[in-house]
Amino acid sequence: MKKILAFVLALTMSLALVSCGGSGNGSTPSSNAGNTNGEAAKSLTLWTYPVGEWGKEETVKKLMDDFKAETGIEVKVEYLAYADGDDKVNTALAGKNAPDLILEGPERLVANWGAKGYMVDLADMFDEQDKGEINEAALNACTTENGAVYEYPMVMTAHCMGVNLDAFKEAGADKYLDLENHTWTTEDFKAAMTAMHDHFGTTIGAVYCAGQGGDQGTRALVNNLYGGTFTNPEHTAYTWDDPKNVQALQDLYDMDAIAFDPSLQGADEIALFYNETLKIASCWNIQQQLNPNGADTGAGKTLNGQEIVPMAFPTESGEPKLQGGIWGFGIFDNGDDAKIEAAKTFIKYMCDSAATVDAVKAATFFPVRSNAEGTDLTGVWGDNEVMNEYSKLMPYLGDYYQVTAGWAEARTAWWNMLQEVNSTGNVAGAVENFCGQANAAASK
Amino acid sequence: MANKKQPAMSRALVRRETTSGYLFLLPSLVFFVGFVIIPMVMCVVTSFFDANLNATQSDVFIGFQNYVELFHDPVFHKALINTLIIVVVSVPITCIFSLWVSSAIYNMKGPLLSFFRCVFYLPVVTGSVAVTVVWKWMYNNYYGILNYVGTSTGILDHNINWLGDPKFALGCIILILLTTSVGQPIVLYVSALGNVDTSLVEAAKVDGATNLQVFWKIKWPQMMPTTLYILVITTINSFQCFALIQLLTSGGPNYATETVMYYIYYSAFKLYRLGYGNAMGVILAIFIAVLSAIQFKLAKEK
Repeated sequence: MKKILAFVLALTMSLALVSCGGSGNGSTPSSNAGNTNGEAAKSLTLWTYPVGEWGKEETVKKLMDDFKAETGIEVKVEYLAYADGDDKVNTALAGKNAPDLILEGPERLVANWGAKGYMVDLADMFDEQDKGEINEAALNACTTENGAVYEYPMVMTAHCMGVNLDAFKEAGADKYLDLENHTWTTEDFKAAMTAMHDHFGTTIGAVYCAGQGGDQGTRALVNNLYGGTFTNPEHTAYTWDDPKNVQALQDLYDMDAIAFDPSLQGADEIALFYNETLKIASCWNIQQQLNPNGADTGAGKTLNGQEIVPMAFPTESGEPKLQGGIWGFGIFDNGDDAKIEAAKTFIKYMCDSAATVDAVKAATFFPVRSNAEGTDLTGVWGDNEVMNEYSKLMPYLGDYYQVTAGWAEARTAWWNMLQEVNSTGNVAGAVENFCGQANAAASK
Repeated sequence: MANKKQPAMSRALVRRETTSGYLFLLPSLVFFVGFVIIPMVMCVVTSFFDANLNATQSDVFIGFQNYVELFHDPVFHKALINTLIIVVVSVPITCIFSLWVSSAIYNMKGPLLSFFRCVFYLPVVTGSVAVTVVWKWMYNNYYGILNYVGTSTGILDHNINWLGDPKFALGCIILILLTTSVGQPIVLYVSALGNVDTSLVEAAKVDGATNLQVFWKIKWPQMMPTTLYILVITTINSFQCFALIQLLTSGGPNYATETVMYYIYYSAFKLYRLGYGNAMGVILAIFIAVLSAIQFKLAKEK
């Protein structure tokens, strides 16, 4: 008996150590339910991912103080990191303790929490004028198939490549770059990589695949090279097994200048690019261009001051399709109508008022709309040379496919596939296997 | 009269003391029930459901389906094998190495003993993220110190992608785990060795026992409770290897460093398959419990 008791106790302790929280049931979240008498809420909670300076307390505090002065509503802000932000939100959802507002992109707000029924439909916030002013692709990305809008978009950008121009000049490879339009062809890219590798004799760029961090860069590189796509236009299936993508992966694998590296994620690649170990980066965007590696050593400069230029991903056609980044606000459905109304007031203030200029500038991205209640937003970055130059890439904004079903599995399958390509060299086999896994997840 | 009253007063005293005892216990009992028992029960219950954090769907009871799926899931098999490799390699090495170091330092004079205890204990009190970042730098494919030293001295003819090569990645994880695991056992062994009855040791030496005989016949049996504790704790820690994987490899390359704990996290918090993750948790708990029971039994026999 004592032995049985001891075993049960040991099992209990072990289980307690390894158990992870369960949702218990799938009932609609409504922990804050109760205030449904139309009384205006005077306080809100906002959780924000580090979208530009929306991750910095001093910047956000000023915005919140201005909002409180205008509306009397106080906003308590919690700052999330991408490393564990999703876990915190999911834990809060499971514990029915979600914030009122959240700032992130459609990948999370629409395809994840929206699809799971946690978000408030914001469709009633858009009139015809709003729809005319907001970038169509951005609004579409925030809208589900049945017309529900789970994110009010505020800013957007296009992800791109970073190129160490001084290194390219040293190797005589700058002739392959169209620095006026920030584009290059597939042939130019291949020639440039050969020239760079011949000159430096080291790895020039990495197809990083240690995890999902910055994975949009490797997807964009592969998809653009021969015009492949990651999903179909309807966002119902993953199409990265088409011959164009297989060819692109094979070419990259065969290049001496490019290394498939399962020890790096996007941030590691940026660090290596910044310290000039690598000469190109696939995980680049305007925030990196403004402040490479977050090191505060000057816009568009590497560690030792070499010049960085943003470039579109190379294509055969010269018409790249850049992966878009869209960020905006969503409201968690906590069952409190007054809070939801106050949250909508907040969103309207930040995304469609005279205050939108400050909110957009805090994000250090481009506004999704041309006009906000009479305030022209097209020239919001008129005084910033770096932003102006980068804006040349914005017309190449491609399909926002991260809303495809089974996205979490597909994302993981992508970098696992790159790891298998690295270790086996069997591109076709790896693509078939992992794209199959992604499609199986999409069809569940 | 006095004799008749005595038992009644004792009962009241006992009742009062019992009540106050339970009241003292209450705070920790509440925490134990709230944070251990209830999650444990939820873990087991949820493992029989298709629980997925979806507010639009109720969790569906699916019986043992999660468990059946586990036994057909190649990634889980790989994770289980990797976890067992970590346990089988790291537990004996940790125990033997810490015992060896402790034996070498336990009778040193005060400051020197403190110095060594600090040195070996430092990785335990250093934040795991900080430790991991340093190791990540040392393993770096491009400018890591291991590659630098290896190629400079001619041991390596080219840089090795330590964390990116399936041949080396798990070994690298185990090495870090060892450095962060030996601190506590060393401190415990130093203390246990210091508590060994010296009169027995002296008597044995007078009788002509060798150092090895003294250690094996006198010190080792007296250190058995400490060894058992170290074995159990190290085993559980090794089974639960997670932070290193999460921070360094995400289970790659090609699942070479996938562990059960990381796969639980990935299933539950990345794919939102809470039921599946909890089923893995139950299996892992059974493994740990069985192994701990075996360790207890073996130690008792000794």
